[in-house]
Amino acid sequence: MKLGVFLSEYRTDTGIIERLSPEKLGIILVGNGVYHAAIKEKGQPSPVLNLKADFYVLKEDLETRGLNTSNLDSRVKPVNYGDVVDLIFNEYEKLIWM
Amino acid sequence: MGTLSIGIFSALVGSMNYDFALKLADAALQKGHKVNLWFSGNASGSPKKNQKHLKDYSHGETPLRKLIEKGLEVCTCEACSLARGIQKPDSIEGVQWNAMHWYLAKIHGSDRVLHIGGE
Repeated sequence: MKLGVFLSEYRTDTGIIERLSPEKLGIILVGNGVYHAAIKEKGQPSPVLNLKADFYVLKEDLETRGLNTSNLDSRVKPVNYGDVVDLIFNEYEKLIWM
Repeated sequence: MGTLSIGIFSALVGSMNYDFALKLADAALQKGHKVNLWFSGNASGSPKKNQKHLKDYSHGETPLRKLIEKGLEVCTCEACSLARGIQKPDSIEGVQWNAMHWYLAKIHGSDRVLHIGGE
């Protein structure tokens, strides 16, 4: 299964995602989830980014929080709403919201 | 082109999830996809018409009306809306009122489903 996960919270237990074993995993960071893409704690990036997945961040939600693409971890690709639609229909068969 | 069904439980005010759902629906419609939107839980308060558009405050009526004009099919959970004191004559024109089976039928006929839970 090709699974797309919308991560909308910053404080998220990655255990749930780690227990999923899709053939392809995409994590789309939206809402407060965008902090995973741009914030380091004690010099370390979010552990979410250590998951074996393709990462995307909704640029609008990033900028709403005073961040921009120069703050992004190199593993994360900025996307707009149109890109998210394409990811939904072209890249992932099932979607979950966390 | 495909069909996307979005279920939203979050309230218009107090959560950005509702805003996300409407913007995603708009983007999908612009790309020619069909979009179904289901309001349940606190989202079922959002079909109320005559919402005052206060500055810097969540406002759902205008964008929802525009999406309906673009072809969005939207339905609110009747029981959820009635429980919040919203009567059908008070709701935005074009919003359907039905029960969970509406959402289940749309899911069954969709290529993709995104279910956004409540707060």
